[in-house]
Amino acid sequence: MYATPVQELIDELGRLPGIGPKSAQRIAFHILKSPAEDAARLANAVNAAKTRVTWCRRCFNFAETDPSADDGTGVECDICSNPRRDPSVLCVVEEPRHVVAIEKSGWFKGRYHVLMGALSPIDGIFAEQLRIKELLARIEAEGVSEVILCTDPDQEGSATAMYLVREFKHLPVKLKVTKVAVGLPVGSELEFADELTLTMALEDRREVS
Amino acid sequence: MYIEHLAVWDYRNFGRAELWPAQEGVTLLAGPNGSGKTNLLEAVGYAASLRSFRASPTASLVRAGCQQGLVSAAVRRDGRALQLEAEVLVSGRGRLRLNRQAVRRPEDFVGALLVTVFSPDDIELVKGGPQARRDYLDAMIVALSPKLALVAANLERALRQRNALLRSAGGVLRPGMEGVLDVWDDKVAEAGEALVTAREQLVMALVPEVEAAYRELGGREKVELHYERSWDGALLDALRTSRALDLRRGVTGAGPQRDELHFCLDGLVARMQASQGQQRSLALALRLGGHALVTRRQGTVPVLLLDDVFSELDGRRSAALAACLPPGQVLLTAAGAVPADLSVAAAAEVSAGSVFSSPPGGAHGPDGSEGVRDGS
Ligand SMILES: Nc1ncnc2c1ncn2[C@@H]1O[C@H](COP(=O)(O)OP(=O)(O)OP(=O)(O)O)[C@@H](O)[C@H]1O
Ligand SMILES: [Mg+2]
Ligand SMILES: [Zn+2]
Repeated sequence: MYATPVQELIDELGRLPGIGPKSAQRIAFHILKSPAEDAARLANAVNAAKTRVTWCRRCFNFAETDPSADDGTGVECDICSNPRRDPSVLCVVEEPRHVVAIEKSGWFKGRYHVLMGALSPIDGIFAEQLRIKELLARIEAEGVSEVILCTDPDQEGSATAMYLVREFKHLPVKLKVTKVAVGLPVGSELEFADELTLTMALEDRREVS
Repeated sequence: MYIEHLAVWDYRNFGRAELWPAQEGVTLLAGPNGSGKTNLLEAVGYAASLRSFRASPTASLVRAGCQQGLVSAAVRRDGRALQLEAEVLVSGRGRLRLNRQAVRRPEDFVGALLVTVFSPDDIELVKGGPQARRDYLDAMIVALSPKLALVAANLERALRQRNALLRSAGGVLRPGMEGVLDVWDDKVAEAGEALVTAREQLVMALVPEVEAAYRELGGREKVELHYERSWDGALLDALRTSRALDLRRGVTGAGPQRDELHFCLDGLVARMQASQGQQRSLALALRLGGHALVTRRQGTVPVLLLDDVFSELDGRRSAALAACLPPGQVLLTAAGAVPADLSVAAAAEVSAGSVFSSPPGGAHGPDGSEGVRDGS
């Protein structure tokens, strides 16, 4: 058993996703060995992120808190508050990190909606636990004409997409709904694509002439 | 395909052991009870599937008192050399290497080496519950078409989700839950229809192979295989129909997870009416028939692992098996005598944690009689 503060640090680190007891111990020792200002920077970064970052009231992406702009109804993220983003196209994702991934491509010019997860009864996640009600409300209120479903290609993600498609049918608006294609990685050779990716890419093939 | 060389470290009862099987024909692993013969076959099976065919957890493969062990196999597949290395750990997942490159995803490792295993426990295929028979079909489906592993995994996942939903409903669906159940019905139906189609096609292809194997093993009865679905019509409709009942029971009543594969010998139900010896022969025919089918479809012969086959068969059936072994590499264990007319290409002596086996063309001669001792 280590001195209490050391053990507490190990325990806290061990609660992080993807960090097992061994890694927790290694990280804790690394922190203890490093200069005090390094450790302080880490602690400050955690604190600052926790106090300054909140959820966008519109799309549930990360947003920075801004006491001057907050009238009590919450703040908007950089994307929602950017007038150059097209409000008529919504890209629906499961997590904020997916927003980051799509933003990197620079291709998408619309806005996002983060569901905060996917349907997974095993984890106690049903429709009410996701930001689905809010999504349906946005479509009417913001005059959305196209939704791109960008959930994960696993069972939970595709079940969620399927659920949304059915919910959209009950809306009194005409909506174009698309799903991202699962395709071949660019710059790789066909023969190295795994069978499944290849099969899905073939199923999603497009007419060229 | 064949194994050129197998080595294990701190694995089961071996500190370190090596085996050089014959490229073609039978390599006999002989030795007393408890010496480690089955353990060696299990190591080959582990290199192929990362699972023990005795259904032991991986941790129990690590030699008692050690934290980790290693299974390494040098394989030739259609002229290509493959070096497979799999760590076995007491806790956590062991590292994998293929041709000295680290492999992250187990699915990129599994299937490089193909094996067909027959073990005395396989009588459960005939005598035991339906799960063993469904597993038998599903394992072969994946061996024949690796991408269908995803279909089976998707079905399992969708069923777990649907059952979790049924149980959390506690008998009655709250409003709003219905739509969620609808999509999990769809997911179960989608994967379920794909899997049942694959199983039914497989059974059709297996029938002549199993019949032929049973006959070659000296069986005279007519063998029938019959796949029975647990529902009629479209699976999606069946799920909708059984919804109320499923909600009460908290489990999904229709789907491939409830299907049955029936075996009959001369019209009698093999599970209940066949003799012990007939059941053994049928279990062996199911494995050898599957082996023949995979060989033909994959264009490469899996390594055949036969554990203790002769101990359970009478003289006539043993002789028949010895005479009808398929071409390719066969690793065969025996604690006692083997039929006189079994042609043995190489022999290894296993005794309490060590193996006497000789490299081909090595200084010790190819017959294995003057082996190197690779004890711990
Ligand atoms: N993790 C382990 N560490 C050490 N020894 C083990 C381990 N697991 C099993 N053993 C030993 O391995 C032996 C069993 O080996 P195995 O089943 O291969 O025997 P066998 O040669 O096939 O015998 P039989 O002829 O009875 O089938 C047992 O004596 C058991 O104690
Ligand atoms: Mg044995
Ligand atoms: Zn936003």
